[in-house]
Amino acid sequence: MSEPETPSASATAAPEQEQPQSTRTGPGRLLVAVYALFALSASARAVVQIATKFGHAPVAYLLSAFAAVVYVIATVTLTAGSPAARRIAVASCSVEFAGVVAVGTWSRLAPATFPDATVWSGYGSGYGYVPLVLPVFGLLWLRYWARRDRAPRPVAPAGAAGDSD
Amino acid sequence: MCSVNGAVPTTIIVAGLALAAYALLMTALNRRMGLGLLVALGVLEILLLVLVGLVVARLAGGGRPASMPTLIGYLIATPFIPLAAGFWGAIERSRWGPAVIGVAGLVAAVLMVRLHEIWPVIHV
Repeated sequence: MSEPETPSASATAAPEQEQPQSTRTGPGRLLVAVYALFALSASARAVVQIATKFGHAPVAYLLSAFAAVVYVIATVTLTAGSPAARRIAVASCSVEFAGVVAVGTWSRLAPATFPDATVWSGYGSGYGYVPLVLPVFGLLWLRYWARRDRAPRPVAPAGAAGDSD
Repeated sequence: MCSVNGAVPTTIIVAGLALAAYALLMTALNRRMGLGLLVALGVLEILLLVLVGLVVARLAGGGRPASMPTLIGYLIATPFIPLAAGFWGAIERSRWGPAVIGVAGLVAAVLMVRLHEIWPVIHV
């Protein structure tokens, strides 16, 4: 990448090698934005479904509600970003990924159980497969932070950099 | 049977996808959010507000969708999309600001398809 040539371009050019400061900045901003979107829409949808027509597809609607809770937890913990929050985020992203795969397979094998779709039906095909891809990026992002924690800090002696858990 | 004018939702889909392409180009070029993206978000916001106005007028005229709470939820949430994306894009001083705005453009386009599913009188 060459240097920006005009002053107006340099005003909007981002620093090349700046590290994100927390799990919610940098690429994390995009991740949290998409998680927040899913948390909001899945919660709203589950509430409407359970409140208005629960008997129509109880399994699907309970799974929708469960998915909504998982998305909310992932959004909150990715935003918080403390080591404890990141461990919960790893758990919720893992549950999310397992849920998409399990419900996706279940909805293919036994479509009669799902008269109405959930977020995770068909591996998230109703949502452009974003539910399948999102936890993978979430876990990659959390792994980046776990590695960054373990990496020796520039000023600290080599032995002092290991993390405490 | 009069219906919500298809020109507005179609324009929103085109505008949303164009905004997404522009924003993701800015991400690829490692740019922060600039005035261009802010103006584009403003245009999208106006289009979405016009759409909400048209749908509310249709409701006031006596039309009813299959699921009223769902439609109301969409009508309330829709205008906040460009606002939230603009705010996040502005505070994130890296290439990931425009990426968030790109998602907002895609979401606006997808919402038009969903609105049509919720209430088919909203033509795309």
